[in-house]
Amino acid sequence: MRVFLAIVACKLLRLAGKLLGRGSSLPGQFALKVCPDVLGRVKLPARIIAVTGSNGKTSTVEMIAAILAADGRQVVYNKEGSNQIEGVATLILSRCTLGGRVRGEVLLLESDERYARHIFRWFHPTHFVITNLYRDQLTRNGHPQWVYESIQPAIYPDEILVLNADDPLVSCFARGHDPAKVKWFGLEECSVSAQEHRGTYHDGARCPVCGGKLAYTCYHYAHIGHYRCEACGHHRPQPDFAVTQLDLAQGRLTINGQVELDLAFRSIYNVYNILAAWSVCALCGVEQGVMAGVINNYLLQNGRMVTFALGDHKGVLLTSKHENSVAYDTNLAYLEGLGQPCEVMVIVDAVSRKYFTGETSWLWDIDFDRLACPHVERVWLCGRYASDLALRLDYSQVPRDKLVIQPDIAAAAEALKKEGGLPLYVVTCFSDRDKLLHLTQRD
Amino acid sequence: MELIILHLYPDCMSLYGEYANVAVLRRHLEAAGVAVTVCQAGLDDVPDFSGVGFVYMGAGTERGQKWALAALGPHAPALKELLDQGAPALFTGNAMELLGQSVTDRAGKVWPCLGLAEFTTQETDRRVPGDVIAYTSLWDEPVVGFMNKCSHTAGVTSPLFDRLTLGEGNEGMGGGEGYVSGNLFATHLTGPVLVKNPAFTRLLLTRIFAHNGWPLPDSLPVLTHEQEAYQMTLRELSARTGG
Repeated sequence: MRVFLAIVACKLLRLAGKLLGRGSSLPGQFALKVCPDVLGRVKLPARIIAVTGSNGKTSTVEMIAAILAADGRQVVYNKEGSNQIEGVATLILSRCTLGGRVRGEVLLLESDERYARHIFRWFHPTHFVITNLYRDQLTRNGHPQWVYESIQPAIYPDEILVLNADDPLVSCFARGHDPAKVKWFGLEECSVSAQEHRGTYHDGARCPVCGGKLAYTCYHYAHIGHYRCEACGHHRPQPDFAVTQLDLAQGRLTINGQVELDLAFRSIYNVYNILAAWSVCALCGVEQGVMAGVINNYLLQNGRMVTFALGDHKGVLLTSKHENSVAYDTNLAYLEGLGQPCEVMVIVDAVSRKYFTGETSWLWDIDFDRLACPHVERVWLCGRYASDLALRLDYSQVPRDKLVIQPDIAAAAEALKKEGGLPLYVVTCFSDRDKLLHLTQRD
Repeated sequence: MELIILHLYPDCMSLYGEYANVAVLRRHLEAAGVAVTVCQAGLDDVPDFSGVGFVYMGAGTERGQKWALAALGPHAPALKELLDQGAPALFTGNAMELLGQSVTDRAGKVWPCLGLAEFTTQETDRRVPGDVIAYTSLWDEPVVGFMNKCSHTAGVTSPLFDRLTLGEGNEGMGGGEGYVSGNLFATHLTGPVLVKNPAFTRLLLTRIFAHNGWPLPDSLPVLTHEQEAYQMTLRELSARTGG
């Protein structure tokens, strides 16, 4: 009876919420009050795919959903990205029959890395994809090892783990798990790989298992690469699904030496998102042709970069995430490789739009030396934290005379409109990008 | 005037931009006319304490802290001797805990520490990541920063910060934070504490000059952007506390 009430309450609140344009966590929150174990008492689809990790959850889930839908499967997934237990409850219960059966063949969940253990207390995913773990929003997450320990209780023996082989911390999830139930994805040494670690910090310096020295034969980015512990032997496993060739400049990759794919976004992140989606969909029995078709056509749906004009400057937005130095470093690496004269604007105005913080330590984790190249002619430092940025850049290799410190974003936009015409690359977060974009002409 | 800064275990005690503490101190010292050498000692190295004029260790993960403790073990007497002689030192984040009697981890295992101070630490399941405003009697300006810990430290009789209006103290809400004894400074504040608090850097500078018997310059260096950045963070955090 309580299950029935919880489902009805969730559906009604969801309907009311939709009419009022409200968020998606409240109905689930209420339903969990009515029946705390409701998620354990509804009949779920036979296949449940969960995706967690620091970066790429939403993109990976969307790609999996598109592939499964193209394969004719009925997929239930949290499109709105509400990935904590309340949002997941809303999703599941609003898609239930009144008899408590979820309509759909596959339940696909993006799961917040800190809350996975609460969600999967009630049911277990059949396939658990873990993308990567690195420094992301430490004001909420503590540190990657802490996040690892938060996810661990959500790992059950009956789950098939789909893990990033190239992340030495993620690969630890396989320890103690039935090896037949662990599937690996990874990137082979390729054009993006480097022999030396690059960055202001190295989270792969020590082995996450024993603390020994971790030796790398190559790095793809940050601590992601091919590693082996000199003390305990913890090493990158041989991937079941591998990108065997990659040409980021041309936007082409090859999976398992067989299938060539076009990249919608030419970023290393996207390579791993595709790999994760490919791996789990293949494990669910989707044909290669179907997967390749969806990924190649992704270009048409989502291939647009945000571009704009500001006076004579053609602008490109490189969306990063504040409090996430890896996201910044990826964009700065792209700028470093451009080779064409340009100007760069970095905006840090509100550190987070979701919660309050004045935390700026992460600026020191970003490798701003990447902007110290001749083709970057000016670097604008904007937003409330312009002085923090200026202080940080003062400890970088970027020449001081290239820096323009202008906390007022509108004033910076005005100044750019009046002079120059070099391409302008804006590096900032979702939370701050509109503060500039609304002053520009959008293409 | 020459100074050696020893940065201990940056390979496992670098949670969040801790290297910047060494970089900013170095720059202040150089601006004051001191020739600075920074020596890093990683987990696989034998730290050389001879001639060291300043010691720094930053925050790490809970496991990283235990690795650092194990590595430091054989060299603890040399470190103690240096600190007993009054060499200025700063331990931030959970590096502070190593100065005490012991750390008890979440599984209940007791890890004996350096025993330079009376306090003991208990790790908990609750993580406290958050902004901090703190006050000390050692300088005028409030301290701003970020804390990222999962422990309670009990038995500190001489906290570095007497009062916090944002963030948690050694034993949770209320009470003091950190530890100070002579020239030994410690706080659970994480990341580039000295970058965020130029007044703290200046205090360390005066202690380094005094310890070496160097005449203090008439005015201590004020580097560009530091004060503006500090004021902005203080303003933002104060708005949060209604202050």
